[in-house]
Amino acid sequence: MRQPSAAEALATALSAEYAAIYAYGRIGVRLTGAARDTARQAEAAHRRRRDALVVQLSTGGGTVPPDRAGYALPFPVTDRASALRLAVEVEERTAAHWRAALASTTGADRDQALAALVEYAVRATRWRKTAGVTPPTVAFPGRPT
Amino acid sequence: MAPLTGCDLFDRDDQPAPPPDPLRPMVDESLGLAAAHRASATAHPELADRLGPIAEAHTAHATELARVIGVAVPSTPVAAPSTTPAADPAGALAALRDLEKVGQRTATAACAAAPAERAALLGSIAAARATHQEALK
Repeated sequence: MRQPSAAEALATALSAEYAAIYAYGRIGVRLTGAARDTARQAEAAHRRRRDALVVQLSTGGGTVPPDRAGYALPFPVTDRASALRLAVEVEERTAAHWRAALASTTGADRDQALAALVEYAVRATRWRKTAGVTPPTVAFPGRPT
Repeated sequence: MAPLTGCDLFDRDDQPAPPPDPLRPMVDESLGLAAAHRASATAHPELADRLGPIAEAHTAHATELARVIGVAVPSTPVAAPSTTPAADPAGALAALRDLEKVGQRTATAACAAAPAERAALLGSIAAARATHQEALK
């Protein structure tokens, strides 16, 4: 398989960030208290990465993929438990896209991809702890299973 | 007449060994981290459920790193980097968090310097070591 270019890999990561932001909109309303605050912070982190990617791709002459009005969720979010499960899923999936971008990038772009992978993997672990999932870690964060 | 070269004269029987793979030390580091978690789990059985999966992850990293660089996983047990686990569970967890932090730095530097085909694996290892610090809180 051909290695995607850095711009292609970052465009894919951007699409994943759009979907993550959409998903957190559905997650947040099912949570209360500290978990809701954590969801808000996580959503803000995905928005910051989205904004940075839009700027980076458009100034670099790359293609900025459009956001969509809605994204298919892997399962319905109906209560706290399913909201926490989706939060884990969202962080692992976005982590996987940034992991994939590592091979296509070098230098500062790779540092940025690794920082995103690490941040989202840690968030996934925090969500597992909140949900009482054990173990709260996976051996290879972001690796397709 | 064929030119006589240094290689012909001196290097026929003792080819210089290829330089060691830069990831080779990370195999031992991963095994050392696994050993540290196992030692703390033995000293503090109440932590075994938490530390066991982390030890397994480090062993899986060592196996994958060894496969990528084309060496066998060392069969001799690797000593844990710290001498003996702290007497109290909180101290043992704090020591493991410090080891994971150092390990995360190693993997981060290795990922930054790696060729494309190794970057994803090293990124996952760096991320795993970061998640371990979170799990040890």
